[in-house]
Amino acid sequence: MSFNSNIFQDRVVTLALTIVVLIVVSSIIWPQQFFSLENLSLVLLNLSIDAIVAVGMMILLISGAFDLSVGSVVAFAGGFAGYLMYYWGVYVPVAILAALAVSVVIGFVNGWLVAKVGINPLIQTLAMMGIVRGLALMVSGSGIQNLPDSFNRLGQAQFLGFQLPVWYMIAIVIIFSFLVARTIFFRRYYYIGGNEKAALLSGIQVGKMKIYSFILMSFLAGLAGIILASRLGAAMPTTGQGLELKVITAVILGGASLLGGQGKIVGALLGTLFMGIIANIMILARVSGYWQQIIFGIILIAAVAIDLLLQKRADRMATALVKMKQFEKFDT
Amino acid sequence: MPLPSLSYLIDPDEKDRIRLRLKNISKRFPGVLALDQVNFDLKVGEVHAICGENGAGKTTLMNILSGNLQPDEGSIFLHGDEVKITDPQEAQRQGIGIVYQEKSLVGNLSVADNIFAGNQPVSKWHLIDRRKLINQTQQLLRKLGMHDIDAHGRVDKLSPGKQQMVEIAKALSRDPQILILDEPTAAISEQDTKVLFKIVRLMVSQGKSVIYISHRMSEIFEVSDRVTVLKDGKYQNTLGTKDTNVNEIIRLMVGRDIKEFDYQNLSTSEVVLSVSELEGDRFKNISFQLHRSEILGFAGLVGAGRSEIAQSIFGVTPDTGGQVLIRGKKVKSNEVANAIENGLGYLPENRKEQGLFLEMSVEDNISSVKSNTQTRGIFIERKGNAALTEEFVRQLNIKTPSGKTKVVSLSGGNQQKIVLAKWLAVNPDILIVDEPTAGIDVGAKSEIYQLLNQLTMAGTSIIMISSDLPELLGICDRILVFRHGRITADLSREKFSEEEIMHYSSGTKDMYREKI
Repeated sequence: MSFNSNIFQDRVVTLALTIVVLIVVSSIIWPQQFFSLENLSLVLLNLSIDAIVAVGMMILLISGAFDLSVGSVVAFAGGFAGYLMYYWGVYVPVAILAALAVSVVIGFVNGWLVAKVGINPLIQTLAMMGIVRGLALMVSGSGIQNLPDSFNRLGQAQFLGFQLPVWYMIAIVIIFSFLVARTIFFRRYYYIGGNEKAALLSGIQVGKMKIYSFILMSFLAGLAGIILASRLGAAMPTTGQGLELKVITAVILGGASLLGGQGKIVGALLGTLFMGIIANIMILARVSGYWQQIIFGIILIAAVAIDLLLQKRADRMATALVKMKQFEKFDT
Repeated sequence: MPLPSLSYLIDPDEKDRIRLRLKNISKRFPGVLALDQVNFDLKVGEVHAICGENGAGKTTLMNILSGNLQPDEGSIFLHGDEVKITDPQEAQRQGIGIVYQEKSLVGNLSVADNIFAGNQPVSKWHLIDRRKLINQTQQLLRKLGMHDIDAHGRVDKLSPGKQQMVEIAKALSRDPQILILDEPTAAISEQDTKVLFKIVRLMVSQGKSVIYISHRMSEIFEVSDRVTVLKDGKYQNTLGTKDTNVNEIIRLMVGRDIKEFDYQNLSTSEVVLSVSELEGDRFKNISFQLHRSEILGFAGLVGAGRSEIAQSIFGVTPDTGGQVLIRGKKVKSNEVANAIENGLGYLPENRKEQGLFLEMSVEDNISSVKSNTQTRGIFIERKGNAALTEEFVRQLNIKTPSGKTKVVSLSGGNQQKIVLAKWLAVNPDILIVDEPTAGIDVGAKSEIYQLLNQLTMAGTSIIMISSDLPELLGICDRILVFRHGRITADLSREKFSEEEIMHYSSGTKDMYREKI
């Protein structure tokens, strides 16, 4: 009973098991196409950008916020770096740092307006999504091709059979898993998402922490945009469209709640991995691309609905447990 | 097992007729018997109080009566006929009304819309008849003596106390024969308590019946005719209120005598906190001093500005003038972290909304202030936090299965101890406690008083904001009385009396008015 109610309520566990089942079943159905290093490498490469953004989104959702401007930041950061390198001949590292700096500024503006002025994150980042998409179109026009080779290598070189973006993703997930689980700084986002007022009264500088989280989000989105541009060897102004919703979907599948206070970084990875594998399966099964969004929509509803049903059952159990504990009080 | 009361068999008088009878009610939750063969009867025209510690089964019993839970065994009789209360709607049809502890109001709707939620008067096109709705609401509020509540006003513009009154009006709008009040006075002012008691007496005089649940003994003795005591889900006894006393009831509830207050005068002359001419949105001209090891009470009606002053000192809300000196040093206002660093702690009024991280563990809660303000390292000190938690769980007698348990599943008294523990963990020099015993049982209350006393022994100074006058009188060295954001009296212990404080808090007396 307790096994049932504890372990299977942890989304990380259920999602990991689902992914294992998907992999096993797909490997049996398409032994050659699915279960190969090339395919695995491709699946991971395709989801690496999403996963890097999802890490930041998970932290925001833990604190009870989210950011819709990430898709635009991905396009703009790549475009800005590309612009500097292509038109101005700026050194690759300088162009990258400049693009990251601009991303940080976008995050600061989001965070400052949300935390200090009190604009709702939905409205603030929705507006920022439009503004930054416009900036992306301005810097990269119809797309910037022929980026320097040294820049393209950062996204195209291989290491141990995987392209570098996969390794970047793995590194970021590992680093942030560790930081979020172990540091006081990141634990504060759980406090803020759990009860903002109580967090404030416990001496947490809620406003500053919110600004930091939006900065981190934009930084990671900018990084993802630069990696994407180098992988493609081109900066396209339309990249990252719809990425924000895809990433939020993945993160919620991975165990975050819009109410805040819940989630783990590994859940962000598993959520994107799950969606990546489903997309891969649909290609192998020759399902029309139109179906992809329909299926993701259904999966999201199903996951959240199952969660709520489990939660109701858990609540009933918890009520009983509370009664039990209150009785223990007298059982001396 | 005690026998059910037989009085109804003897007295044939209409007034003493049994309206409601619960016979051998049992309710089992997995692994626990929440109610064990409980008997209870409610007469026509009586106020019947139910007492018991948290977890004694009061709420389960009320949930059965209001249709939220079904009993596993036993029967419910209304006027001698057995009934099944299958759901809350059925309870309503049977004339049972309940005022829950948790609010069921919609903040951004008007008082009228809330009171008649679900049964608004409609015109012939089935549209809501606004004029009739407002009229009916005004009539009801007038009848209930709630003259200061505006039927048009939005509920979230009202103070928590007034919201509770609207909640009561809502339950009464359906004209219940049986009204269940679950801790109705926890949030309301003394004046509103009087209004409530008047309503209760009026209902009773019309032959209706009231079930009254409260932790406050004085109220039970003031308003009830009989008291039924539950302990560990078992029926203990039903006593005529006139024939018993507080000590007997407490003994039945907890099985031992509880020494409520244990006053010691430890206050010194050293000033640790000096507030002068402090001014904010809802208070002005606040000047006082707090001494080392002193317990200073803040008395006053709900809405007198006491919590606002405390939050201003703590740096939550900005003050607009005046100054706060901690041990002679001026502190940067408007920064909670700074206040904590200067040795201030603040236990907020509403533990669920402001004090606790309900979905987080006991350990995360207890270590929340310490790890965020005092720990210098980057990493969470998992061993340190576990040890800290273990220490406080033991020291404060917190009943929890483990430090990893989510706080939401613990009882109110234990939750309050956890909020206290998170402050004790940083060893504050000055601790402000805002309604520290609201809604918790006598046993836990007494433990909290002892704890506050121990803190003063260790040199901590305490400001205690409370609406529970006996508690302030019992534990404080000195009491400041507030009214409309001003201090109206500064009373030393020899001048303490409930009457005096009521005079100063309701405006019939004022120590400083003449001087100004």
